[in-house]
Amino acid sequence: MAKLDIVQLTKRFGSVTAVSEASFTVQDSEFMCILGPSGCGKSTLLRMIAGFESATGGDMQIDGESITELPANKRPTAMVFQKYTLWPHMTVYDNIAFGLGLRHLPRATIEKKVHDSLDLVSLSGYEKRFPAQLSGGQQQRVALARAIVLEPKILLLDEPFSSLDAILRVRLREELKRIQRRLKITAIFVTHDQEEALSLADRIAVMNSGRIEQLDHPSTIYANPETLFVADFIGAMNLLKANAQGSSLRVGSKTLPLPDGSIVNGETTIALRPEDLVLVSDTYTGAGEIWKANVDQIMDLGHYRKVLVDVPDVGELKIFIAKSAHINEGDTISLVPARYLVYGQHGSPIEVNRLARPDSQAVQ
Amino acid sequence: MTTIQPAAPLPGMSFWQGTRRSFTTMVRKNGFGLIALVILALVILGPLYSVVLWAFAERWRYPSLIPNEFGLKFWEQTFSRADILEALPFSIVLALTVTALSAVICLPASYAFARMRFRGRQALLLSFLATNAFPRFGLYVSIAVIFFRLNLVGTVPGVIMIQLVNTLLLMIWIPTAAFQGVDRSLEEAALDVGASPLRVFIQITLPMVMPALAAALLLTFVNTFYEAQGALIVGLPRVVTMPVLMYSLINSQLVVQYGAIVSVVLWLPSLLLLLMAQRLLRGGYLTAGFGV
Repeated sequence: MAKLDIVQLTKRFGSVTAVSEASFTVQDSEFMCILGPSGCGKSTLLRMIAGFESATGGDMQIDGESITELPANKRPTAMVFQKYTLWPHMTVYDNIAFGLGLRHLPRATIEKKVHDSLDLVSLSGYEKRFPAQLSGGQQQRVALARAIVLEPKILLLDEPFSSLDAILRVRLREELKRIQRRLKITAIFVTHDQEEALSLADRIAVMNSGRIEQLDHPSTIYANPETLFVADFIGAMNLLKANAQGSSLRVGSKTLPLPDGSIVNGETTIALRPEDLVLVSDTYTGAGEIWKANVDQIMDLGHYRKVLVDVPDVGELKIFIAKSAHINEGDTISLVPARYLVYGQHGSPIEVNRLARPDSQAVQ
Repeated sequence: MTTIQPAAPLPGMSFWQGTRRSFTTMVRKNGFGLIALVILALVILGPLYSVVLWAFAERWRYPSLIPNEFGLKFWEQTFSRADILEALPFSIVLALTVTALSAVICLPASYAFARMRFRGRQALLLSFLATNAFPRFGLYVSIAVIFFRLNLVGTVPGVIMIQLVNTLLLMIWIPTAAFQGVDRSLEEAALDVGASPLRVFIQITLPMVMPALAAALLLTFVNTFYEAQGALIVGLPRVVTMPVLMYSLINSQLVVQYGAIVSVVLWLPSLLLLLMAQRLLRGGYLTAGFGV
């Protein structure tokens, strides 16, 4: 339970900059996710916090005290690794008790702590097993128990569930969140899986090629991605090339308005969430531009449908619509771009909200 | 009175029946393999059979397939020979010394080969093959020439040094591969919970490479114990190891039994060590670790 400050942390491997001047603060008992594609530097950042990589520059502080110069074994952090890293020659009990033994705790205390931690990860009774006798999910639970039994100030998790199957991954994710909430432990979770990040994190830091592109609450990142990279990386998104001229945007042969006083000009990119392309009836006369679209492909995804449509002169778009809407492949439908973000060459994107959800008009 | 239950078929019987059945199917299905097995057994066990028989023979004349008279007479004679009484304990101590020295020299080196990146690493690692790439005898003769100038011929240190050369390949390559096989993240996980680098090595790395290290030590000991060429060239006339003594017993003795008995005795250490190795490989975490 502690606060972590990262100050302009940099890591260079030769001429390659893996992490570039990362600065952020993880609050006490906050669950922070670092999200990014592989090779973006997220694991390097975590390994610097754990002490497995030395920092080229910058500082790390836990509760105001610098840990940058401390070796890994002196840092008050504990890590759960991506690979299964239980020691194969030790039982589950010995694996968890190893760190406690180093702290010269009385035997009875160690025993109690090991049992409590196993109980926490729902593996009571597995003390005498060897790692090879456990499934992958069980091994990662023991690894989690081994980390939290030491009551670290910061819990570090490096894609701990990425080698597990999808169902198990979701279950362990929920379990981890429950444990983190219960212990109020400060945690940093590195992942390339946006769904994992969105469901676990209090805040997400999106990383790309060594830089933190955006750090915010999951809903904010989803609704207002700061950069084009974040817009593309998080959630499903339609990106359209457009040309800004004064207060209007030209997309192919279509025109969309820009708010007054917008300073973008020339080449821009419009980011449109699939759910922000609203299906309206053919007789719709409300606000917003109506785009006629041909339905190419319908994919049933259970509680909703993902539909690929072709808007002449604009291109292929994906939209999400309710199962109740009666459309078939080959139909022509009417869509209204209800909300979109416009990314110019520089600066923050411009948010355009055309209509307060024309649900009453939408085809049911 | 208790009634006697009809006897259940003896467990042994069904076992033999089962064996016989599987044996016939084996012959039918796998005739070629079986013939190969028999030939191999003859080739491998034949000479052993002859040596063991000679060791316990008191008299064995030509046409007879087995000795005419068995007895332990020659055992008494063999073990009252001063040279053997001297050479046997000396050989064991020598082999242990060479193995220990080799471990002290080679194990840190193999750790460095496995874990550090330095210039010429690959070339150095390959250079240990060199001692095995050329005819041993030539190598030993040229070393002996140098040793002669250094007054090392006929001395124990001289023999130790030349036998050490022999052990390098095994004691570097096997442990290097073993250290490379230890996943770094297992060591990082131990550092992470607070273990010092030395403790990580002793409690995490070492136990995981132990089976390979034990195998390397074992092979080194056995190889050194049976090493004769180097000891012969550098050691004689003053330093006589068991294999060297056996050479002379076989070459210059009219009594065949001396050589036979000494070879049977020389089997013992390697046999014992092999049994130990088997126990080591079978017991505990290792099998669990490999999910056997």
